[in-house]
Amino acid sequence: MTVNTFLANTGWLYRFDPRAKILLLILLLGWFFLPVTLTGLGVLLLLILFASLSNPGPRFVLATFRSILPMILFMILFAPFNVRSGQPLVTIRFFVLLTEEGALQALKLALRFISITYLATLLFATTPMHQILLALQWYRLPYNAALVITLAFTYIPFIADGFAQIDESHRLRQAGEKTEGKRTGKLKSLVPTLTSSLVLALRSIPTLALSLELRGYGRANKRTHYHSLDSYRSTFTDFLISVMIPLISFLIFKA
Amino acid sequence: MNNEKHALKVAVVAVLTAVVVVFTLVVRIPTTKGYLNLCDVAICFIAFTFGPISAFIAAGLGTAIADLVSGYAQWAPISFVVHGVEGLLIALIVSKKPLTIIRTFFAAIVCILTVSLGYFALSALFISTPAVAAAEIPPNMIQAGVGVVFGLALSKAVKRAYPPVSALSW
Repeated sequence: MTVNTFLANTGWLYRFDPRAKILLLILLLGWFFLPVTLTGLGVLLLLILFASLSNPGPRFVLATFRSILPMILFMILFAPFNVRSGQPLVTIRFFVLLTEEGALQALKLALRFISITYLATLLFATTPMHQILLALQWYRLPYNAALVITLAFTYIPFIADGFAQIDESHRLRQAGEKTEGKRTGKLKSLVPTLTSSLVLALRSIPTLALSLELRGYGRANKRTHYHSLDSYRSTFTDFLISVMIPLISFLIFKA
Repeated sequence: MNNEKHALKVAVVAVLTAVVVVFTLVVRIPTTKGYLNLCDVAICFIAFTFGPISAFIAAGLGTAIADLVSGYAQWAPISFVVHGVEGLLIALIVSKKPLTIIRTFFAAIVCILTVSLGYFALSALFISTPAVAAAEIPPNMIQAGVGVVFGLALSKAVKRAYPPVSALSW
């Protein structure tokens, strides 16, 4: 099971300080909810797409777009019918099916949704998870929270593999037996597999707690930090860019 | 002794978070409109077996991580809030002993309402439109309903299969 969303590459966004990247993400997420013009939303989406193409690459752009395509189609199909005011564009006899304002509203929502999706996925595609955690710690994320997230990431493949093995062995035991019903039968047959997987996962808790204690967790003299974000040389410039981009974009494109 | 307890708490929450991620990403049952995932089963199991704090953190963090790694990062904050609150509320309702049928039924209603209305309100406000968000209410209700039934069944089965689990709740 793959739980790493980082796509190794050497683009300029990879050299951007993760702390500044998080600030830029938060500011731009806020920016999309400010009163800005449709042109502004379009220009910013183009900039985000350019950053995506020149950093993780076209494959990333296509894969992300494919994952949100059903949602976008649903939005474009149904959102315009909620807005009844404005110049009618499509009418059936006396019934106004689509108005200009409705179409613009749908376009605005779709642009915002696509931009937010690319922004959020771009952060995780261009920054390794341990650097995101270090950056969050720099923003005063408690040490315990960072430890829980790191441990969870370590245990996901272990539990997923355990589930796959147990599921396979349960299926082999049931070979030749008729499975009752359709979905209910499938769900019922999942209970023994899920129970065994949960027991396997829960049995690892005391061992994990013991290993944490043995590594000095909770002691006054903390464990040495091996990783740091000191390798980023232009932190001030990156922070400045992170603040300037949303600010200038808002001044140019405010409605 | 205090450190021991602290290490155990961190270990419990970390493993339960991983369990929620696996149930969300690995176990998927195909439906006519896509997939039914078992994140609510994991959340309800945690709420019925462990305490409110474990349920809140593991449910919120687990579903947010699942959203992040599966390419739906924009849903992560919404999932964190909705599922975190879902886990917390169910655990608070069922934490009083003895667990009666009425209280279990009340927990089920709260679970279904929290998930369906929470996702509707937050996604209509921040991601899509009320019409698009309303279309997600029925599948969310089914998923949450299935979650309560199977979560309770799993809780009873696991307690019987692995009795030391009672010592891990806090």
